[in-house]
Amino acid sequence: MESRFSNFVNRRFHRRSLVVMLLYVLALAVMSLAIDHLHLRGVGLVLLALLPALPIVAGIVVIAQYLSEQKDEFVRALLIESMLWGVGATLIVTTVWGALEKFAHIRAMSLFLVYPLCCVFVILARVVVKRRYR
Amino acid sequence: MECKTNNPAAWRFTIRFIVLSLLYGLFSVLSTAGLLLLHPTGIVIWLLALLPAIPIAMAVLLTGRYMSEEKDDFQRAVLVQSLLGGIGATLVVTTVWGFLENYAHFHRLDILFLWPIYLVFVAISYGIVKAKYR
Repeated sequence: MESRFSNFVNRRFHRRSLVVMLLYVLALAVMSLAIDHLHLRGVGLVLLALLPALPIVAGIVVIAQYLSEQKDEFVRALLIESMLWGVGATLIVTTVWGALEKFAHIRAMSLFLVYPLCCVFVILARVVVKRRYR
Repeated sequence: MECKTNNPAAWRFTIRFIVLSLLYGLFSVLSTAGLLLLHPTGIVIWLLALLPAIPIAMAVLLTGRYMSEEKDDFQRAVLVQSLLGGIGATLVVTTVWGFLENYAHFHRLDILFLWPIYLVFVAISYGIVKAKYR
């Protein structure tokens, strides 16, 4: 059974994750607007490219923080397992897609999609893992 | 603080991981050779493309198993932090590269190589995390 503290830490983690995802979407919107209106080149373009990377780094920090704050070993293990499956699924999809892209000439997958894909797989894995232990 | 991997679970994990990495290399060569030389069609293309994904799925299972076998909390935490670092770095690189590919006409980064890139980042991250606790 999850303690009150564990619930509080969980809620905070979910809230922070949501903020990070919204920041990622905002970064993409800002980037898209800047490309259309500022016509950046060189260093400016590289700096702009780094913008969506900031919420990704923040997301990793949020997870690391959660894992150190969460005292319930079982709840911690659930997230780690979900992440393993999520990352594994992402890498499997990119590997298979990469081979098909090269040799079966299917549509190229944008590298931009890797992060959202990973998030979706981690969320799906979390649901499956949680259900398994219910 | 002791942070050497001198316990059986860690050794088993390391050896198995090396074997899986070699298998990944072998399967990648077989898959590429099959796709290039046999000019397969239909389901065979998919089967050959799936070949390198098998060791990736096995690596996820292996990591999950190690996490449950490893009794040393510290070793487990070091691995989790390294994985987080590897995931974060891979996602940042793919996102930034994807943007530069789309808008600065960067050379296309083959998504087929995301697994080796991820492993390199996890290894670098592992070195950094271990050095932090030395």
